[in-house]
Amino acid sequence: MVLVVLYIIGVGVVCALGMVFIRRHTKGRPTALSNLAAQRKAEPYLFLLPTMLLLLLMFGYPLINSFLMAFQSYKLTAPTKIRFNGLENFQKLFSETDIWLIIKNSFIYVVVSVAGQFLLGMTLAMALNKQFPFRGLYQALVFLPWSFSAFVIGLMHRWSFNGEYGVVNDLLMKLQLIGTKIAWLGTPGFSLAVVIMAMIWMGIPFFAIMILAALQSIPADVYEASYIDGCGPLRRFSKITLPYIKPTVIVTILLRTIWIFNSFDLIVVITNGGPANYSQTLPSYMYTKAFSSYDFGLASALGVLLMTVLVLYVTVFLKATNYNKAGNF
Amino acid sequence: MVIAMLAIMTLAFAGASAEKQETKLRFIDVSPSPTRQEYFTNTFDKFKQETGITVVYESVPWDDAANKLTVLGASNQLPDVMTTWAGWLGQFTEAGWVVPLSDYIGSTKGEYASTVTELVWKAEQELYGNIYTIPDGMMVKGVFVRKDWAKEVGLNLNMKKGWTYAEYFDAVYKLTDPSKNRYGTSFRGSRGAFDPLFVYLESLNGGSAYAADGSSLMKDQEAVDAYKKWMGLYLDGCAPKDAINWGFVEMVDNFCGGLTGTLINDSEVAATALANMKDEQWMVMPMPRSDKDGKIYNTVNSPYAYSISSSSKNKDAAWKLIEFLTRPDNNIEYCKLTGLIPIKTAVGDDPFYGPNGPYAAFVQQLNDPAMVVPVAFGPFNYTDMHQGMMHEEMQKYLLGRQDAQTSLFNVVNELEKRMKAYLAENPGSAVEQPKGLL
Repeated sequence: MVLVVLYIIGVGVVCALGMVFIRRHTKGRPTALSNLAAQRKAEPYLFLLPTMLLLLLMFGYPLINSFLMAFQSYKLTAPTKIRFNGLENFQKLFSETDIWLIIKNSFIYVVVSVAGQFLLGMTLAMALNKQFPFRGLYQALVFLPWSFSAFVIGLMHRWSFNGEYGVVNDLLMKLQLIGTKIAWLGTPGFSLAVVIMAMIWMGIPFFAIMILAALQSIPADVYEASYIDGCGPLRRFSKITLPYIKPTVIVTILLRTIWIFNSFDLIVVITNGGPANYSQTLPSYMYTKAFSSYDFGLASALGVLLMTVLVLYVTVFLKATNYNKAGNF
Repeated sequence: MVIAMLAIMTLAFAGASAEKQETKLRFIDVSPSPTRQEYFTNTFDKFKQETGITVVYESVPWDDAANKLTVLGASNQLPDVMTTWAGWLGQFTEAGWVVPLSDYIGSTKGEYASTVTELVWKAEQELYGNIYTIPDGMMVKGVFVRKDWAKEVGLNLNMKKGWTYAEYFDAVYKLTDPSKNRYGTSFRGSRGAFDPLFVYLESLNGGSAYAADGSSLMKDQEAVDAYKKWMGLYLDGCAPKDAINWGFVEMVDNFCGGLTGTLINDSEVAATALANMKDEQWMVMPMPRSDKDGKIYNTVNSPYAYSISSSSKNKDAAWKLIEFLTRPDNNIEYCKLTGLIPIKTAVGDDPFYGPNGPYAAFVQQLNDPAMVVPVAFGPFNYTDMHQGMMHEEMQKYLLGRQDAQTSLFNVVNELEKRMKAYLAENPGSAVEQPKGLL
């Protein structure tokens, strides 16, 4: 409690200093050239300041606290025995028998889900970019999954893939594609596949909406010129469409990767990580650790690990995709 | 003007003092359902009429209950009266979140059935040094069986005679018929899966799980063989493959829905079976007798016992509420609604709980001299194991990822480690002993 109060006071002080700083730079003072240059230099930071302060206020404390908790023995069931324990939580984390299975699952879950959502979302956006009757209605229908809560989508998939009563087994058997019922949620591999399918289904509309908006912003005359020059469809796609939508694609992939990597709701609802952790990912495991063993220290260590992985990913991804240069023609 | 102001101030103060006098209690139900909520809100209305104390009803779904209570406990915000599962008491008493009730019970002890005094309270006193809960009703396990299927395959089941584990396993195999989409058992593979298996393993050791020094008694070949036999029910196809993920809801749904032929569960399921199945479809057999000594090892507990939180500012009023809820008329109404056996001797002769009622097999076990209540996992906090390791180790064996011995020993070694640590940290404490009723 004391820490929270101190933190809020700290943020308040930073906030006040920021305001003073802004006032000093925006008040009409003699505009000596050197002063103007300093003002220009400070401008971007001043614009960023309100957002940074808000972030600091809303996320700063939990972030700092969870970082501290990662190095503490912090069990909710033993509130009187909280103490710093160095790297013990990390040692414990990497000595867990299933940790490598969980890391592997997380990797497969993110890569396959993002790739599936991107490819299908892109296809959908290209299809919707053309004029056809009832396009608006069709567009509204295919975008529906994005408005469903993950809990509802999870339940839908859990029941559809139920080994005994599920509609999927029933259809596959009627089509004579399988002879015996498949225990989708009880078989290693399949259980993760079901979660990935649900995640892809849920995320396609997001990619489609974003890419469609980017596609519609491409000037028509560029395409017209390409027709005149005798450009083929593949070349048109790679030389016109793709460069134009590249910034949107990069940001969308980046955002979805982070969201998917952090998401655990679908997993908890559909399989709860089972059987025997075969569909468990790092965030769902973190949730399990935090709320089944109440070991917030270990869960925070996992959180720090997640954050590190994501920061590394974002850095490498932005470098590799030349994001700064994207959209420059 | 002055008079008007004085009048307003007087009224305001009068209002404030009246507000101050009104006692308000918070009550949380950890297993909410429309039926239970209706019962509680009606009873709280009656309670208010009699005592003037207002009770605010709160609830949390069972699956999230442990989490929510833990968070509330850690932030010192637990409601005055809580419905509490016996498995949480190790954690709650260790953290000091519940208050001892012995002084409140005082001379009224004689009003309670011997299942309460000799089993629940004796166990609490042994494990935690005091009484911390007042049972809401008594729950004992039985085996729900598809009577019609049993008849079809020529099984002659007699509730009064009972059966042994060997006969039970045999019945499960006989009731399995994949061509008719019938499986012999509602196998529990997920959370809570280790509970009935633990009792089966204890039935080989006279109801015990630990030696006096805290060493596990489940680390021999006999235990491994029994473990394999139990898991064989799943591996041999007596349960659907999906059952590896089944918890309480799926087990009950699939028994009542006509997919499985037997279901080991508590008497509370009788209320669901009564509501969803025809009388000629189901019956309840007592828990199987040990193949080794012929005794019935069965857990007896109260599912959602009442306790008072230490953060309560109105502990006496909270006790008044518990007294009211457990008054014979209210208690029997509650037990009939929720499928439990009443806790007070004054309601013992109700025909609903007689030899021809739906609870006959459960009451019969409670009166059987051969029934023994085996020991619990231990007095230490095992919530984390119960929510993870215990069933995960079973799943690893079922999926062929590791052998039976490794799976079993991983769990019992951890239990042994915690039991020994508990004994070392609590000088004078001893390992719990199995209890008979008669």
